[in-house]
Amino acid sequence: MKKSLRRSYMMNKLLTYFFLILGAVIMIFPFVWMILTSFKTVPESMQIPPDILPKQVNLDNFKEAIASLPFGNLYLNTILMVFFRVICAVVFSSMAGYAFAKLKFRGKKLLFGIVLVQMSLPSQIFIIPQYQMVAKMGMANTIFALVFPGLVSAFGVFFLRQAYMSIPDEVGEAAYLDGCNQWQTFYKIMFPLTGTSVAALTIFTAVFAYGDLMWPLVVNSDLKMMTLSSGLSTLRGQFTTNFPVLMAGSLLAMLPMVVLYLIFQRQFVEGIAGTGGK
Amino acid sequence: MNKKLSAAAKREERWGWFMIAPTIIGLVVLNLWPFVQTLYSSFCEHLGFGHYKFIGLQNYKDMFGNTEFWKATWNTVYFCILTVPVGIALALLVALLLNAHVKFKGGFRTIFFLPLVCAPAAIAMVWRWIFNTEYGILNQILGGKIQWITDPKTAVLAVAIVSVWSSIGYDAVLLLAGLQNIPGTLYEASGLDGAGKVRQFFSITLPMVSPTLFSVLIMRLMASMKIYDLIYMMADETNPALTDMQSLMYLFYRSSFVAGDRGYGSAIVIWTVGLILLVTLVQFQGQKKWVTYDV
Amino acid sequence: MRKLSRMTAATIVLVLLLSLIGCSSSADKKTHLTFQIWDVYQRPGMQAMCDAYTAKHPDVVIDVQATSWSEYWTKLEASAESNTMPDIFWMHTNQLLYYADFGMLADVTDLYDDVDPNYYEEHFTEISRSNASGSDGRLYGVPKDKDNGLLVYNKEMFDAADVSYPTDDWTWEDLADASQKIHDKTGKYGFMAYNDDQLGYWCFAYQAGGHILTADRTKAGYTNPGTVKGMEFYVNMQKEDWCPGQTYFAETAPGTAFFSEEGAMYLEGNWNLPQLMENYPEMRGKWDLAKLPKCADPIEDDESLDQDGRATISNGLCYSTAAHGKKRDIALDVIKYFGTEEAQRIQGENGAAIPAYIGCEESWRAAFDPYDEKLNLDIIFEQFDYAVQAIYNSASPKWKSLVLDELTNVYAGKQDLMTGLENMERIVNTETAKKLADQ
Repeated sequence: MKKSLRRSYMMNKLLTYFFLILGAVIMIFPFVWMILTSFKTVPESMQIPPDILPKQVNLDNFKEAIASLPFGNLYLNTILMVFFRVICAVVFSSMAGYAFAKLKFRGKKLLFGIVLVQMSLPSQIFIIPQYQMVAKMGMANTIFALVFPGLVSAFGVFFLRQAYMSIPDEVGEAAYLDGCNQWQTFYKIMFPLTGTSVAALTIFTAVFAYGDLMWPLVVNSDLKMMTLSSGLSTLRGQFTTNFPVLMAGSLLAMLPMVVLYLIFQRQFVEGIAGTGGK
Repeated sequence: MNKKLSAAAKREERWGWFMIAPTIIGLVVLNLWPFVQTLYSSFCEHLGFGHYKFIGLQNYKDMFGNTEFWKATWNTVYFCILTVPVGIALALLVALLLNAHVKFKGGFRTIFFLPLVCAPAAIAMVWRWIFNTEYGILNQILGGKIQWITDPKTAVLAVAIVSVWSSIGYDAVLLLAGLQNIPGTLYEASGLDGAGKVRQFFSITLPMVSPTLFSVLIMRLMASMKIYDLIYMMADETNPALTDMQSLMYLFYRSSFVAGDRGYGSAIVIWTVGLILLVTLVQFQGQKKWVTYDV
Repeated sequence: MRKLSRMTAATIVLVLLLSLIGCSSSADKKTHLTFQIWDVYQRPGMQAMCDAYTAKHPDVVIDVQATSWSEYWTKLEASAESNTMPDIFWMHTNQLLYYADFGMLADVTDLYDDVDPNYYEEHFTEISRSNASGSDGRLYGVPKDKDNGLLVYNKEMFDAADVSYPTDDWTWEDLADASQKIHDKTGKYGFMAYNDDQLGYWCFAYQAGGHILTADRTKAGYTNPGTVKGMEFYVNMQKEDWCPGQTYFAETAPGTAFFSEEGAMYLEGNWNLPQLMENYPEMRGKWDLAKLPKCADPIEDDESLDQDGRATISNGLCYSTAAHGKKRDIALDVIKYFGTEEAQRIQGENGAAIPAYIGCEESWRAAFDPYDEKLNLDIIFEQFDYAVQAIYNSASPKWKSLVLDELTNVYAGKQDLMTGLENMERIVNTETAKKLADQ
């Protein structure tokens, strides 16, 4: 009896590792290929059968990418855009999420309907009207323009409402009996309990903002005011299918984020996966 | 209802309105009003530069009679089938594996979450290169000549692979958070009851993680129904498989932005939104059956 | 409640901070103009022209912004609707009629009247002027440049296959023969005929005596016998073993294939040449330019241009400003300067494009001065003798992508060429008639 249990435990372990390693290889391979390609010349990259390793470490592709894009500006713009979008999403969505989950008020269902409807609307249809708003304000080619569509986040509201709903009503009622008003209940008691969800919202607001392509391309056409994503798209416009240069540009665009992530990956992952909900 | 209660209720109501005000005002100005305009223009012909002529249901008639439109609808649904069930199942698997007691857990997590911190533009580029028929590494490994993104049969699949690959870590982050919120005592108790791993999964893990799963499902489904960016970045205008891979939103982009036919494009949006609402409604109805908020 | 005010204060600070970042530092008393273009490679040339202007007008600052082609038009149309267009921008023949006929562009016909009432006629060719004209015959932009398509070939591959280089008298058959020989000898592709209009089938249709639009631009000519002949030859090249199929080009641009020595020839626009020299240093000296091959037996009719089977498509851009822009007068003064010989020469010398101004064309050769390896640039200037104006009418923004879809379906084998051409003819005629009726 004990032996078979042990064996099945071992099998389990083996299978777990097998799938994890297989998955990890699939996940990491495109990055490895990106790095290898970025050092190759174009003819070298198009060889059949392919040379896995570049013949020599050739930095020309990186030089071309740097000559085409002002990477310093792109990093800074992206960071500022992400930062402000996260702040807005967390502050406004926490307030609204709490209200929708825990407070009673007339029109709640209808207003929450607006949130749900917005989530189902494709962002492409807002590009022209929102661009016109920004243009009328004379704000095109600014950081504000980049942040603009992210001032409020319907998804954030939806997501944090879920979080507040999973907090038992008794918690709020107890605070209320202790003399807290609604705001204090929210701010002092409830908000801290949603730490995990706020961290998750922060991360995927950041991820979404970082990946947003169409909006930054349309609203900020000054190369110095572009984000990494829109800059890369511009690079693609210039180099069409010259993959080594595109790979070099992609690497440069990703590098700081990846390094930041590797340094803070514990906080990053545990911020989300941490022991929340105490 | 007595007066005292209603005064408290009134205060609560004011707080409620105050706390949702920024969000609602923002949504109305930024999203709802443009959407109402889109709705209106779907009944119009776009003459140019925001001037419209009312033409009734003509755009919808044109749309429903167009094979390209039905093809795009199917492509979108097919893409959802490929990404949502498969993608979420894989993400849950990854989350479960990472939640187990393994060595190098940190290392694995780091790797799986890596696409999260990469610009999608970069991801689309590298995959386009990997999928390249002649010079792509994938065909070299497989030893075939599969035209991944130019063959009508594989084009949607190729985009779906990239989509799942890049979102798996993202979904797993959320699911892992859900898994780790499950108190260990629940498993201990059921372990004492003699429940096996499989039974534990269905009787404890799945119900406990179901609210997170529901969020992930809704989010992924909506993103997949609206798929656009990835196709835009992976296919060129001259790709012979373009009509076989274009989603509804890509068709919208080409009608509205490239051909300037905004009335027709708006009709496509309305159809897409209708589909999304329908699917979401079904999900919200269905959630009562399987999502557990309090255990 | 104190907590609330702290929160409110934080929000206010946030909003202030955002708007602070929003404000650009335009506190000086100068006039700031934005100049929007879609080609990053031409930015230095445009900047040099602006610098020359601002040197004379120190109170003006011009900010050159480059964006990519597709976003350019999305943005320009959106900004035209809300009257927030850039102060100066490029106009393309494909869109000019749409904008001009809608009254979005400032009429510049009389711009040079104080200098010379016949300024445009004297200094710009008919094609250049036509490219900048609205349907009413008025000018809505100052001609900027002109271009044409030419044959690019790999000398080493020709040598390896023992085929002599393309000559001025090359015919379609010579092109096919050379391609076959090169493919047989080297295993590489010959002429790479990809799905493109200006740098593809348009040229061949006109060479064969056909036309895409009639001279008055009101009717399509896709099913004209000459057009059919040209299209058949062009499209069917992809069926030869020496030419890759369209699936190949969808993943590997012909230029990328050429410069990684996978193919021996393709059709390229002259505007791309400087950046190709720069981007592929290891290929310098290995390739050269030739005139487009001609059709040996064109099918002539009333619409034919009667050019002995020769044609290349020439397009040209112009500088425009909004009809109701806030800084219209200064913007007009700037584009007036852009149309002078001095500015056009600066544009040429910086390698941006071949100037539209007659007599300045050759200044563009300077773009190639940095390289020891020389290209046969003469043929570009000679080709202007029989260049055909790029084919557009006021409905082209609508039909262009629909026509592309039809041709894509032909390439994908979903319909035969004749069906495709009939569909294209119908699409263009319908959209054009609709547009004419709306006006």
